[in-house]
Amino acid sequence: MNGRTDIIQEVEARLGSAAVAARETPRDGVATFWTPAGRVGEVLGYLKNAATGPYAMLYDLTAIDERVREHRADGVSDFTVVYQLYSFERNEYVRVKVAVGGEQPEIPTVTGLWPAANWYERELWDMFGIRVAGHPNLRRILMPPWWTGHPLRKDHPARATELPEFHLSAEAEAAQAAALEVRPEEWGLDSGGPGREVQILNLGPHHPGTHGLLRMVLQLEGEEIVASAADIGYHHRGAEKMGERQSWHSYIPYTDRIDYLGGVLNEFPYVLAVEKLAGIAVPPRAMVIRVMMAELSRIASHLVWYGTFAADLGAMSPVFYMFTDREKLLEIVEAVTGGRMHPGWFRIGGVAADLPRGWDGLVRDFLDYLPARLAEYETLVMKSMIVKRRTCGVGQLMAAEAVAWGMTGPNLRACGLEWDFRRKQPYGGYENFEFEVPTATGGDCYARAEVRVAEIRQSLRIVEQCLKNMPAGEYMSDHPLATPPRKARTRQDIETLITHFLGVSWGPVIPPGEAFVASEGAKGNNGYYLVSDGNTMSYRTRIRTPSFAHLQAVPALCRGQTVADLIAILGSLDYVLADVDR
Amino acid sequence: MSPAGTIVLILGTLIGVLSAAALLIWVERRGLALLQDRLGPNRVGPLGLVQPLADMVKIMLKEDWIPPQADRAVFVLAPMLVLGGTLATFAVVAAGPGLAIADLNVGLLAFLALSSLGVYGVALAGWSSNNKYSLLGSLRAASQMVSYEVFMGLALGGVVLMAGSFNLTEIVEAQRWVWFCVPQAAGLAIFLVAALAETRRLPFDLPEAENELVAGYHSEYSGMKFAMFFVGEYVGITLIAALVTTFYLGGWLGPWLPPVAWFVAKTAVVVCGFIVLRAALPRPRFDQVTALGWRVCLPLAIVNLLVTGGVLLALE
Amino acid sequence: MQGLFYVSAAVAVLATALVVTRRNAAHALLYLVLSLAAVAGMFYALGAPLAAALEVIVYAGAIMVLFVFAVMVLALGREGERQESQWLRPRMWLGPAALAAVLLGELIYVLASGAAAVAGGTPVVVGPQEVGAALFGPYALGAELSSMLLLAGMVAAYHLARRKQMDEKEGER
Repeated sequence: MNGRTDIIQEVEARLGSAAVAARETPRDGVATFWTPAGRVGEVLGYLKNAATGPYAMLYDLTAIDERVREHRADGVSDFTVVYQLYSFERNEYVRVKVAVGGEQPEIPTVTGLWPAANWYERELWDMFGIRVAGHPNLRRILMPPWWTGHPLRKDHPARATELPEFHLSAEAEAAQAAALEVRPEEWGLDSGGPGREVQILNLGPHHPGTHGLLRMVLQLEGEEIVASAADIGYHHRGAEKMGERQSWHSYIPYTDRIDYLGGVLNEFPYVLAVEKLAGIAVPPRAMVIRVMMAELSRIASHLVWYGTFAADLGAMSPVFYMFTDREKLLEIVEAVTGGRMHPGWFRIGGVAADLPRGWDGLVRDFLDYLPARLAEYETLVMKSMIVKRRTCGVGQLMAAEAVAWGMTGPNLRACGLEWDFRRKQPYGGYENFEFEVPTATGGDCYARAEVRVAEIRQSLRIVEQCLKNMPAGEYMSDHPLATPPRKARTRQDIETLITHFLGVSWGPVIPPGEAFVASEGAKGNNGYYLVSDGNTMSYRTRIRTPSFAHLQAVPALCRGQTVADLIAILGSLDYVLADVDR
Repeated sequence: MSPAGTIVLILGTLIGVLSAAALLIWVERRGLALLQDRLGPNRVGPLGLVQPLADMVKIMLKEDWIPPQADRAVFVLAPMLVLGGTLATFAVVAAGPGLAIADLNVGLLAFLALSSLGVYGVALAGWSSNNKYSLLGSLRAASQMVSYEVFMGLALGGVVLMAGSFNLTEIVEAQRWVWFCVPQAAGLAIFLVAALAETRRLPFDLPEAENELVAGYHSEYSGMKFAMFFVGEYVGITLIAALVTTFYLGGWLGPWLPPVAWFVAKTAVVVCGFIVLRAALPRPRFDQVTALGWRVCLPLAIVNLLVTGGVLLALE
Repeated sequence: MQGLFYVSAAVAVLATALVVTRRNAAHALLYLVLSLAAVAGMFYALGAPLAAALEVIVYAGAIMVLFVFAVMVLALGREGERQESQWLRPRMWLGPAALAAVLLGELIYVLASGAAAVAGGTPVVVGPQEVGAALFGPYALGAELSSMLLLAGMVAAYHLARRKQMDEKEGER
């Protein structure tokens, strides 16, 4: 993309041609190659450490069950494990695919290269039953330990109606309850020994400080956290599995519920990925409407964070003020989309409807209203001595560590790395807008707060530009795959009518291929990796969420700090459990 | 005072304090709502004034639940200690001349003694609940309250020096010329901080700290036993405000109005100050609270005591 | 006032007996607090309100809180109760009880023989000023000595806590 050497050639040249079993050119243009399972560690290690413009971040790690796929690249493997790495120097991704198969598919671990691989590999085992050799703690992560089967395998049922009638016997109930008991050694914590007692505190899954169904197991000394582990999966709803049985169009509302505070920010990468697969170009007016709604959603999400973060620090009032502001914002969203938290507003090829009459007045009022309020919050929260003392130097992280943990978005920018995908890899028309990318240097809770507060102002700037420069024209593409298709011309000829009928009843048939789109969500980098098998439904929908990576770093962030600090750290990371568990 | 008079006074104080606490619950809920852009309880009775009564009825009808893992006897005793201890302290408070149930010549010390016993209610509640969050809460409470009692006592030392007595009536009478909040401004500041810490309210609500410890020492309490903690908190605020008034704001002294009216008015102002503070401030961390006490309050209180003593000696 | 004294004294004796016989450490401590409060009541009845207040502030309110604190942290539980019940066997307490009985006898003898000297005068209320004047007058030496003792204790406590901190720091290196 930027004149660097082709990374696949480089790998071939340095590691021998056997390291690259095959190459692929997917629709999204990400450099993709296959490597044998035995050489995964070596190839990824080279890419991370030795490659020119090294790929420092393990961006995503997932798999595809290939067994019933028709349009496939190799034709031999049962499962494809997909590693996606990101290089900051190249500003490029690379996708490494590994074929595994057999009764007991197995692959070596890469936790030695990236600490972030830990949870991704557990998810691999949990969802696909791919054993990860050498993994320090290979247990289920999203499903409960007593679950049978691996949900993202194609032979695992997607609906309860495909399962036998449900019975919970007394023994099963007891076993499931027993599985919830804390066994410190299972979490890699000290379980004590003869004459040595260890204080273990189980925090969650129902706890006012965890912002949802998160469970932390803390090993304490007094109030100091010696070690800890996070347990997730309590909010898992099988969003990726649902993607395999919903039509391309009807999956849009499901994306809203991933980061449920981010509204249309979730729909954005999804529709962009589908459009990339289908080759749809979106008209300029739709693009600007999308950007405007996305930035409003970002402000809504950040306002919720602002209030709850202050509440986590014990301040009682701010959350009420910020929810009042968010209410005003949601009134705009409601006027435009009819929805509030989950608008379901973007469409494949545009947006659901044109902006209503009077939208500009609403947006203008909000733009005039919010800055004064933000200035007040600055004194109330950010300049408060107590807040500073609670957050400065707490949960500190260096930029390199943040990258190793796969952190993105405001949490990465708080470490001083100016990296915003709206600026670095513009999508959806962001290249046409002027805005700054706020950063902070502390890498601590306060820095993360600073970045988000500054981002609200920048988002207001973008919304203002949308308001001033809203182009005229269509809000929906005329492409035959755009959904729902335009009605007007169906009255002209039978072909269009048939296409329309099929597009509405079955949904569009998206051409086979793979496409990945990453976007700058409210919480961080939000990516959708879609595999189409030339059908009305996605073959595989992979959602790479920022919260998953951020939460994984919590035990490292809170070591040696107090329980109160843990709550501040959780608050400052701004995650949503639905975004973690999907 | 005749025995009958004493009984009337005891009943009057008890009813007055408890209804003040009930009213205070309403005042705080509406007041916080006012500060936070919302309405607060406004449906039961005019302006929602009957809400505390409705809450009381509701809470009395609740199941009296004791968790099976708890130490039953202590679990039941703890809330009584909290409420009883605070109520008992009102015995030495005089709302007007001659209006104290027990006009002890060591009244101030009696207050310190009873408030130092207040720790037990909180500490034992957490311990007997047999819950780790409760235990952490009561550990925080015990160390916070024990240490802040020291600063509270030292801050009051200045008042005692100036009044030349531990008797609350004499302390008020000694403020005829000037309220002690002027010469004892530093003492007042320390006393207010320590008093907040003693009542365990924001920003010193670490023993409860909802976001961290769920509800701390009273996590396991419900029904009437929880109500005792709840009412105990408001009685505690009333008590502390009454004492601030007595020690620093000239008690019942004031022109035109009857003494009791002055006393009630001053107490109400202090209480409102507490409510505003709760709406405005976040919560510091536990070690920061301890550091504030020992590194700031303690030296300041000692210097205040020394200076007060020195000035008084020089004036003699 | 006589009535108050006897009631307080009875409570103190009863509570102290319960302290000795309780198996649960926390319960025993609570009775000890009660006993101290009852002793404060006795002081008050005898005309020493300052001593009564200090008894509660210092013993019941501060020292015993630290005891409760320690019991809370140690989490003795069932194990501790079993141990306690072993200690409550007659073999364990007969010896000390006999010795204590001798002391009690001596006390009664002293009280009986010296009763004439004490009786007769109504108790005088000793206020804070009198106590202060006595402490810094005739008993100044005692007050100073005890303050030195406390200072030494404080320095030692600081030293011990500091050394533990230093050890931890070195361990980290």
